[in-house]
Amino acid sequence: MKTILKAKNVTKTYGKKGSAAYTAIRDLSFSMKEGEFIGIMGPSGSGKTTLLNMVATLDPLTNGEITIDGIVVSSKTENQLADFRSQKLGFIFQDFNLLENMTVFENVALPLSLQNKAVKTIQSRVHQVAGVLGIRDIIEKYPEELSGGQKQRTAIVRALIHEPALLLADEPTGALDSKNAAILLDTLAELNRNQQVSVLMVTHDPRSASYCSRLLFINDGQLDRELFQTGTREEFHQEILAVLGDLERRPVAGVRI
Amino acid sequence: MILKLAINGLKKKQRDYLILFTGLIISIAVFYMFLTMSLNKEFILQNSVINNIQVVFLVGTVMLSIITFFYLFYTNSFLLSLRKKEYGLYELIGAKKVQIRRVFQIETMVITAISLAIGLILGIILSRVVSWLLMNQLNIEFTQFKVVYLPAVFWTMVYFLVASFITSTVHNTLLAKSSIIDLLHSDMHNDGIPSEPKGSALQILLGIFFLGIGYTALYFMEQLRFIGLFTAPIATTLGTYVLFVALLPIIVRKWKRNKRVNFKGINSFTSGQLNFRLSSLKWVLATIALLIALSAGAIAGGFAFKNDAFTSIDEHWQYDATLYNPGAAEMAVLDSIPVEEQLTFRMKLNDEFIYLVREELNATPPLIRDMVTYEVVRPDPLPEELEIEDGSQIVSDQWFTALYAINPALEGTRSTRIVPLEEYELAEGEEISILLARTADFSAHIEEWQKLDELQLDVYPGLVTGFDPKTDSVATKYAQFKTQYAIASGTFFMGFFLGLAFLTMMASILMFKILSGANNDIRRYDSLRKLGVRRRVLENSLAREIFIVFLFPGILGLLHVFVGMRMFTFIMDEPYYRLWVSILIFLAIYGGYYFFTVHLYRKIVLPKH
Ligand SMILES: Nc1ncnc2c1ncn2[C@@H]1O[C@H](COP(=O)(O)OP(=O)(O)OP(=O)(O)O)[C@@H](O)[C@H]1O
Ligand SMILES: [Mg+2]
Repeated sequence: MKTILKAKNVTKTYGKKGSAAYTAIRDLSFSMKEGEFIGIMGPSGSGKTTLLNMVATLDPLTNGEITIDGIVVSSKTENQLADFRSQKLGFIFQDFNLLENMTVFENVALPLSLQNKAVKTIQSRVHQVAGVLGIRDIIEKYPEELSGGQKQRTAIVRALIHEPALLLADEPTGALDSKNAAILLDTLAELNRNQQVSVLMVTHDPRSASYCSRLLFINDGQLDRELFQTGTREEFHQEILAVLGDLERRPVAGVRI
Repeated sequence: MILKLAINGLKKKQRDYLILFTGLIISIAVFYMFLTMSLNKEFILQNSVINNIQVVFLVGTVMLSIITFFYLFYTNSFLLSLRKKEYGLYELIGAKKVQIRRVFQIETMVITAISLAIGLILGIILSRVVSWLLMNQLNIEFTQFKVVYLPAVFWTMVYFLVASFITSTVHNTLLAKSSIIDLLHSDMHNDGIPSEPKGSALQILLGIFFLGIGYTALYFMEQLRFIGLFTAPIATTLGTYVLFVALLPIIVRKWKRNKRVNFKGINSFTSGQLNFRLSSLKWVLATIALLIALSAGAIAGGFAFKNDAFTSIDEHWQYDATLYNPGAAEMAVLDSIPVEEQLTFRMKLNDEFIYLVREELNATPPLIRDMVTYEVVRPDPLPEELEIEDGSQIVSDQWFTALYAINPALEGTRSTRIVPLEEYELAEGEEISILLARTADFSAHIEEWQKLDELQLDVYPGLVTGFDPKTDSVATKYAQFKTQYAIASGTFFMGFFLGLAFLTMMASILMFKILSGANNDIRRYDSLRKLGVRRRVLENSLAREIFIVFLFPGILGLLHVFVGMRMFTFIMDEPYYRLWVSILIFLAIYGGYYFFTVHLYRKIVLPKH
């Protein structure tokens, strides 16, 4: 199977080299096959968001190389990256970040509008994807008028509408109750299984993590451990809890240079 | 402790305060300048011409103080909204309401005091500049004029301190009424979804109807007079509000309906922003349209009025100079300018009569403006016999006017007798010659007219018994022009600075309104960036959005001015004189504020990485 994402010796140092510099990610490498559902776990401050932001091309790398869908993103200009994001990446944010001034339709159509697709194409595509996620009835409403679950499904539609090569999510269930969290993850897992959408998700929550096919544990900016789902989800969940308990016994600290 | 916190908070919001300051400082400076111009006592006594200017500036001061009060009130409420959340936090950590209220009041007063210090300095400079310009224009010395005039300083300070004390007290009571929760959440409020417009077609019709009435009243002001004076402002104001409230949401909706455009790039975002913004700003925008009309109108009115001093003087005086017994000096001055027509008449003067020669009058009848037809004509020849009734000769109305044109200094002081030449030769009395001169352009030779008037001052004591050149004057075209021009120049500066002050205050209100929404937008622009919208595209969207917000009131305001200037036809000939200059000034200031707003907005929502 094709490799969708490849991170090679990635390092991220915040601040100027020298006194106040802080290395959040240190010489980290991993790769991701098309259709994988990878979760990134680790203690607070371990560098999960930093890693995801670099993959999302929102933050430049200090060192190393990231390749997505065959394109080396770490060497592109800002404008090229913007275009790349709008074509290849889908985002689900923690609080969904729907644009309150636009209707659900306009929100989910935005990634297609950005690619200057014809109105006909946009309409039929929105219709189709909205149907799959059951938001067809609320398509003319404003985000303010939606329930949490509806917002969440809208966010997923917006993230998938342009068929991105990679779907990125930073703690997508962070703001949800357990029921809505379960619905979201079920949806993601289903999309991953049925439509081969590749998903990279940062999460704190072991239950959310159990939906993934593979987990990367990060500690102090380095890859600490990897875990594959082999059995059922419940077994995977127990396994994750065990690993976390194991890791917790070690002190948590940043790395100073 | 709380005070210290508050000062820190103030520092953090420097930018907002700076904008607030500019409007305030400009209005203080102009206020001071108006007061100095109108209150300088010694300056009043010295010259009657200046006396008239001072009334003009006093009117300006009153108008400015009314508008400024509203401005202060508005900015103070904006100030409060900026700080609400912070005050909520203070309260949360245990500050008493009384303390917070005191902090707010002190803050307001400090801001006013700082603005006063800067504004007064600017005002002094402004007074210096304006008085110098006026002196140059009117060709007189303001020897007694004090640029730093303490009564003006005093009243400016009193007005602004009292006004800001009142406004901050009002807002303080509002502050006292709001709960901690309200305060803490004050920056979270959302604009609210624009409601589906209902009956807007009717509203638009109503708005157009009112505007139509207002414009008609403005246009036919000359005929309608008082009715027009009342109808025009009321109907225009009403029409502006109704139209804005009904039309703005519809326009954006129409835009959004055009799917091909709306779903191109981030147009749907831009129009979504506008949809919310316009519907929350429609009242402010309508107010701004009216203020634009007022300020641009004030500037344009000043220009037109000044021009009118030239055009109207020609209406009443067909001859630019009327010289009694002109000597070599007068003739030398006349020789230096291109005189188009020059008439000479003789008259004999004794205690009882003024004698004029009929043949001379008939040979060269002077140009006059007919009081009935309002056309410039030469009177028909005088008949052989002129009746005498109650001791005065009866002449036609045209000749009646002509006699005053020929002899403005003496006509009416005794009986005039128009007599045949033989009779004139026999008449008793001192012979005086009168010379009327006319050029193609009165305004081109102002200096010469002034010189001639001065030369004639030596002649008048011989003509008019007890004439004192220091206190008395003779009606001449130049003398009348001088008075008229002084008032006009005063009005011009008054209108100009009043307009300038209005415009600055208005534009800074619009700027606040827009910028106060910026914090809500930070997250939106960040989301868009993450979704892969290029920075350039975001910048354009932002510039376009704010442009349209600025555009609507600009257009309607200018339309008001175009129609409204017509109103002045009943006091002047060319109300549209150099309207483009005022429009350019308006565009420069308004445009400046637009770019400044865009710049600040960009800095808030699109920080550099
Ligand atoms: N812009 C920044 N400048 C300096 N240091 C930063 C910056 N962003 C993050 N860091 C530091 O980098 C480290 C990793 O941060 P990151 O946000 O990636 O952690 P995280 O694993 O996502 O934590 P959490 O689970 O709490 O979200 C932290 O120690 C943080 O303080
Ligand atoms: Mg994080």
